[in-house]
Amino acid sequence: MSGLTYFRMTALFVLGSLAHWWWTTYLSFWGVAPQLLLVLTFVAAARRGPIPAMCFGFAWGLVLDVYALHLMGAASLALTLAGWLVGNIRRQVDVSSIAPQSVLILLGTWTFFLFTGLLGLVFEKRFGWPGWGMFLLAPVYNCVLAPVLFWVWDLAVES
Amino acid sequence: MQPHREDRAANIVLAALCAASVIVMFLPMARPIRAFRAAVAHVFEPMTFAGAEATERLALVPARARQLIVADLEYRALREEIAAVGLLKAERASLMAENARLAASLGLKTVEGRSVLWGRVMERDPARWYNSVMVDVGSREGVPLNAATLGYVDGQLVVLGRIAEVSERTSKVLLVTDELSSVAASLSAGTCGKEALPPAGPCGDNAAGTVEGLIQGQGTERLRMNYLHSEAVVRPGDEVVTSATSATFPPGILIGRVAKGYARDPFLTFQSAEVRPGFAPASVKEVAILR
Repeated sequence: MSGLTYFRMTALFVLGSLAHWWWTTYLSFWGVAPQLLLVLTFVAAARRGPIPAMCFGFAWGLVLDVYALHLMGAASLALTLAGWLVGNIRRQVDVSSIAPQSVLILLGTWTFFLFTGLLGLVFEKRFGWPGWGMFLLAPVYNCVLAPVLFWVWDLAVES
Repeated sequence: MQPHREDRAANIVLAALCAASVIVMFLPMARPIRAFRAAVAHVFEPMTFAGAEATERLALVPARARQLIVADLEYRALREEIAAVGLLKAERASLMAENARLAASLGLKTVEGRSVLWGRVMERDPARWYNSVMVDVGSREGVPLNAATLGYVDGQLVVLGRIAEVSERTSKVLLVTDELSSVAASLSAGTCGKEALPPAGPCGDNAAGTVEGLIQGQGTERLRMNYLHSEAVVRPGDEVVTSATSATFPPGILIGRVAKGYARDPFLTFQSAEVRPGFAPASVKEVAILR
């Protein structure tokens, strides 16, 4: 994890969590906000590989689990797996260009919703459905946000 | 780090983090942890507990944390209501000013504004359960004799009775259920019969709220509404409210609801109805005295 000191990692984690909270609280339209932490996990995986992405994904997942009050551990497992998958896919796919990035994030967001929903079904006997608005709009929102986050990451972490 | 070594390390980290997540999912959470999660969720996202699933989510939260969250939600709702009350107060002041101008132009006597004094019920006489209660405010607080006394039941003001006796520190409220009590009242949904539609006869103009009568206490838990127009349509459940002709009570305050209409007596020119009071005498704890 060259270049990622503990201080930078902690700062990234805290800033990511705060940005997600701020966006969902103050910038959601019709109850729909982007999955900022999911996209950030994708970005971390694309830029730094699976291990840092899984660590960030697990930690951000716990944050989501705590303040969304759904099944504890569901988001952390989903984001860990997302970090691992994208971290391995990056060898076969050029995740820096917009088109594959968008496809990856579109599919990844839907998979995230379905996976956490299914975990709810298994552990709580209730499918954690986010609602049609969230299910259809959030992936698009995430796709729009992804290039911005890649740019911010390159500027703040990689430089 | 070599590619295969990196893969191996990634797989180990994946296994460890997945195992940690699954363990967290399986573990039954201790009460302090559930309380912490609820508190954090409420601080960062108060809407978590305000939606349709709020009841279900709150059921999982330990009692004390739940009480705090519910209190905060109520506080937010009350703040919104208070913000709306400011507008209502301004509207009321404007309407009162307009009413005063119109009343002055018509030469009508204007109604004086009244203030509210709250008192607590301190004593009930078991022998006079449906007749009176003692409250802990008296002449020292400025309670006048014969003042209207109201209660607050399910978010609505209801008529309780009037002040019958005043001492320095206490007052006796003669409940509307007492045999000596009577209140001018009207049926809020009452109408005259279609076949006897006087344009503006004793039954009024057939509009809702114009069927007038007199509520009289029976010394029991029920009231009787007498002197209803013989053609008035009285249905169980109709609201009975104070009339604008009442000398003691402001108009439109709930007295009770019609329990049943009595069969019409051909020898009488009016009909009567049994009314269930809007309050349970045994459950009155605070009273509002209009002075």
